[in-house]
Amino acid sequence: MGALHPPLPRPASPARPARLIALLCIAAALAATAAETWRWSRAALHHERPALLSHQGTPVSGVTELSHAIIPMPEGVPSAHASSLASLPDGGLIAFWWAGSRESGPDVKVYASRWSNGKWSRNWEVASRDSLGRALGYGVRRIGNPVAWTAADGTLHLYVVATGLGGWAAARIVQMQSHDQGATFTVRRVLPMSPLFNTSTLVRSAPTALADGSWWLPAYFEIGHKYPMLMSFDAHGDPQRLTRIGTRTQSLQPSLVPVSPTEVRAWMRDDGDSRRVQQAVSRDGGQTWSDLEATALFNDSTALAVLRLANGSLLMLHNREDIDGSARSALTLSLSTDARNWRPLIDVVDGEAGDEFSYPAMYVVGDDLHITYTYQRRAIAHHQYRINLQNNLQKEMP
Amino acid sequence: MSLPDLALQIAYGRLAWALVAAALLLAVLPAIAQRTRLFIVAAMMVLMLLPGAASPAYWLVLAFQYPSGLLAGCAVVSLQARWQGRRPRFTLPAGLALGLAAIGLLMYLDTFGVLALGLYYGGFNPVAAPLLACAAAIGFAVNVWRGHAAGPSAAMLIAVLLFSLLRLPTGNLWDALLDPLLWSWALGSSIVAAKRMLAARKTQRRQEMEPEPAPEPVLAAAAE
Repeated sequence: MGALHPPLPRPASPARPARLIALLCIAAALAATAAETWRWSRAALHHERPALLSHQGTPVSGVTELSHAIIPMPEGVPSAHASSLASLPDGGLIAFWWAGSRESGPDVKVYASRWSNGKWSRNWEVASRDSLGRALGYGVRRIGNPVAWTAADGTLHLYVVATGLGGWAAARIVQMQSHDQGATFTVRRVLPMSPLFNTSTLVRSAPTALADGSWWLPAYFEIGHKYPMLMSFDAHGDPQRLTRIGTRTQSLQPSLVPVSPTEVRAWMRDDGDSRRVQQAVSRDGGQTWSDLEATALFNDSTALAVLRLANGSLLMLHNREDIDGSARSALTLSLSTDARNWRPLIDVVDGEAGDEFSYPAMYVVGDDLHITYTYQRRAIAHHQYRINLQNNLQKEMP
Repeated sequence: MSLPDLALQIAYGRLAWALVAAALLLAVLPAIAQRTRLFIVAAMMVLMLLPGAASPAYWLVLAFQYPSGLLAGCAVVSLQARWQGRRPRFTLPAGLALGLAAIGLLMYLDTFGVLALGLYYGGFNPVAAPLLACAAAIGFAVNVWRGHAAGPSAAMLIAVLLFSLLRLPTGNLWDALLDPLLWSWALGSSIVAAKRMLAARKTQRRQEMEPEPAPEPVLAAAAE
C-alpha cells in the first residue's frame, strides 16, 4: 500500500490549499475533542459492588432430590453439550444448550427450553451460524457454549460462542438479548475481548450479580496459554470493563462468587498438571486479582459451577475422581461455609468408566436448587433438589 | 466503556476493507490512467457492498474482523498519493514501523498470556483512552498542518477521528491504532529498514577503510 512516504507536498504558496489544510486540521482536532467531551459529560459513573445476599447463618444440612429428567432434545440430533440456566421474569426457569451432529459441526445450533409447573417445554432454536451470520453481516463458522443472564429489567441476555476462521481458538463472544422471555433473540454486538482479530475468547460459567443490577460475565482466553477474564456490564447490558483474573496460564472457565463486600473468589477448571480446582481472589471488589494455591478438589480439565446460597454457604458442582480413574463419570455437589474447605454433600450422578456427565450448571429458585449437565454428550439432564437447612429439619421433626 | 453500534461496525467493515483492497491493488498495478484508478476504487466499493456471502467483506470480517483505523487511514493516504501520480512505497516509514512493531509485540505477548500487563484492557479506560485520543488528534493535526511527516500523521489523524467520533472499529483505542495485519506490515518494514541501515553502515565502513588515492608526484608532473 505504502505511499505514506514521501510526505504530502506542502503547497508552494500560502494561498488556498494551505489555508484549507489548516482549517481541516483545526476542525479535526476540535471535532475529536468535542466528541470526547460530549461523551464524557453524558457518561454515568459505574461503581461495581458485589451483591451479597443476606446472611442467615443457618447451615445447610443436605439436599433432597425432588425430580430428575432429560430436557427434550431436538429430533435427530445426536450431540448436545454445555447447558446454561437463567430465571424468567414470571418465576420460571430457562435452559440453553447447543446441539448438532457433533461438536463444532456446521449444523450446531443453540436451543432453549422453559421449565414451568414441574415440566420442560418443547425446545426451540435460538441461534445458528446462519442466523448469527445474517445479523452480524459476516460469516460465522461454528457455534459453541451459550451463557444466559436475566437482567433486573427482565431482559434476557444470552452470550454465545461463535468462531471465525479456525477452531475454538478463533472463538468470539456474541451478545444477544430477548425482551419476550427467550422466545426471540436479537444480536446486540460481538464483545471486543482481544486484539488478535478479536479471537480466542469464550464463555462457559454463569454471570455474577452485582449490587446495582449490573453483572460480571466470566470469560477465558484459550490459544496456547489459557487464562480467565471477566467483563462487567451495567444494568442495561452495556460492557463497562474488561480484566484478566490472576496471572496463571493454565486455568479457565472461572466461576465468580462474592464472599464479602470486598472479597470475591474465582474457582477455575485446571488445564495444567496439578489436576486440582484452581482459585483466585480479589480483595477490592473484583478490580484486581491474585492467584491462590489450588484447592484440594480434583479437577482433570473439567468445567465446574459455584454459587452462593442465601445463608452464605457455597455450593460447588464438579467432577470428582472416580475409582476407575475417569475424569468426567461422576458429578459431586460439595459445600463450603468459608470458601476454603469443601465437603461432599451428594453425588448427583455416578457412572462407569467412559461415561460423561460434565459441564454442570446450577440455579437457585426459592428453596430449590436446579442442576443441569451434559448427559453422555447426547442430551442435557436436569435435577431438582430441595435445599435443607438445619432449622427446617428441626421444624419438620415431630 | 463506550462501544460502537453494530450497524455502524458493519458499514465500517465494508468501507474499510474496500479502501484497503483498492489501495493494495493500486499499489501493485503499474501506472494506469486516472479513470481506471477511479474504476478500481468504485469496483472495490461495489464488491464489498454485495449482500451476504457474495461480498468479500463477509469473509474478510469473518477471518480478520475490522481493519484498524490506522490501516484504513494508511489506505486513504496511499490512495491519495496514487491519485496524485506518486509511486507507491511498500514499506512504512521507519519511525512509525518501529513504534508499531514494538507496541504490537508487547500487546500480543500480553494477550497470549506471556505477560500480564493488561495493555488491551487499558484501551477501554474511560478517562485515559479519550484523553490520549484528544491529545493525539491535536498533535497529528498540527503535524499535518505543518507538513511534518504529513502522510503518517494524516493516517493517524483519520484513526483517532474514527475512534473519537464513532468509537470505530471496536471501542478500544488499541484497535484504532493497531491490528495484526498492520503489525505484520510494520514488522516487515522494520526489518527492511534495519537491513538498509546495516547495508549503509557497511558501505560507509568500506569507504572509510579504502586507501586514499596516492597523490600525484608533483615534481614529475612539473618536469613534464
